[in-house]
Amino acid sequence: MLDDKAIKALLLRTAARDDGSADAFRRLYEQCSPVLLGIAQRIVGRRELAEEVLHDAFAKIWRVAESFDPLANQPVAWMAAVVRNRAIDVRSSHDVARVSSYHAELDNDPDGSLDRLFDWAPAADDDEDRRRAAQWLRDCLSRLNAAERQSLVLAYQHGLSHSELAAHLRKPLGTVKTWIRRGMASLRNCVESCMSGATR
Amino acid sequence: MKIGGRPTLDALCGEYLVGTLRGAARRRFERALAQEPRVAQRLAYWQSVIAPRYTKMMEAQPSPSVWRRLERDLGLSRYRVAWHQRAGFWRSWAIAATAALVLVVGVELARQEPPVEPISQLVGKDPAVAQVTAHLSRDGATLELHSSRPVIAGPAQSYELWLLTPDGKVLSVAVVGTLDARFEVPMNLRSRLREGGRLAISVEPAGGSPTGRATGPVILVGPIRT
Repeated sequence: MLDDKAIKALLLRTAARDDGSADAFRRLYEQCSPVLLGIAQRIVGRRELAEEVLHDAFAKIWRVAESFDPLANQPVAWMAAVVRNRAIDVRSSHDVARVSSYHAELDNDPDGSLDRLFDWAPAADDDEDRRRAAQWLRDCLSRLNAAERQSLVLAYQHGLSHSELAAHLRKPLGTVKTWIRRGMASLRNCVESCMSGATR
Repeated sequence: MKIGGRPTLDALCGEYLVGTLRGAARRRFERALAQEPRVAQRLAYWQSVIAPRYTKMMEAQPSPSVWRRLERDLGLSRYRVAWHQRAGFWRSWAIAATAALVLVVGVELARQEPPVEPISQLVGKDPAVAQVTAHLSRDGATLELHSSRPVIAGPAQSYELWLLTPDGKVLSVAVVGTLDARFEVPMNLRSRLREGGRLAISVEPAGGSPTGRATGPVILVGPIRT
């Protein structure tokens, strides 16, 4: 399990550009590259392309580490965003097969696929807040309607664009765009209301 | 127009997170992220609300070549502590000095005229521990080390003297059993010792570093006078 606090410390040390930066960056790479490679591989499909993405993404993380907000608490999410964006770019420039076997699997069992992507089980070292947040996110995802959930997962996990989603789901582009936006907004509202319910 | 003030900011953050914000729109958003604190704050908020944890099941081990390429492409060696500057060396120095037993690893002392010119003062972090002066003979063939107090390597150790050239090379000069020693300078180093740089002494396995580079703690360092 990646420890956000430790990862954040390594990221800040990387950004410092001093004698310890190269070591911090190496440890950051050692700890995060397996999960980030997994993310890239699900989007680009092919192993060698995924490694290319990993290289480019870490080169970018090194360059822009200073722009990571020291007050932010989601360093892994921040790095995952860099990897996903790079993977999406590489995917579109390499004409990766549009619908991989993952997607077929997802069509049959969208919720099972969510379980494979995310770790919902509480880790022993999780604090109470994290445990609750993970549970909320899971509950809220399951409350979305099936079409919204499926488009979010396809976009998030496999990097499908609006138009690819439209083609794959055989729905008009505008409909798919609405699903994505509404799905993300409902997800946020749902988690927010869980949060405010918990603080009352 | 700034993105931070738009009613669509939340929608953009959501699309950015899920990955459907593409091309020019994504680049605009990323520029705004760097320039408009409000955008960065809002995205950080979204990330804190919708923060999936990744499962072990999706991990994949990258091949070692990815890291090697990164190291080379980014020139990471510039951001690494040089081996002779690490703080741990000085702690090890105290331990090595205390553990030193009376056993001299044989080094043939050159029977030549005593060197006369001090060329370097080698010091540790704590100058009170021990200092070594290096003297070079006029012909550059003989080097002599004088320690401010007797320091002798332990049974499984040697001291190795290194020349750190001004252009960054690290060359082995001699392996000695005590910090009071006299020896012949290898032919290929005679002219280089007068070109400046630094001398350093590291603790190595008996007989010297097995790799040709310092493997143990560096206990003394000093610049060469030119």
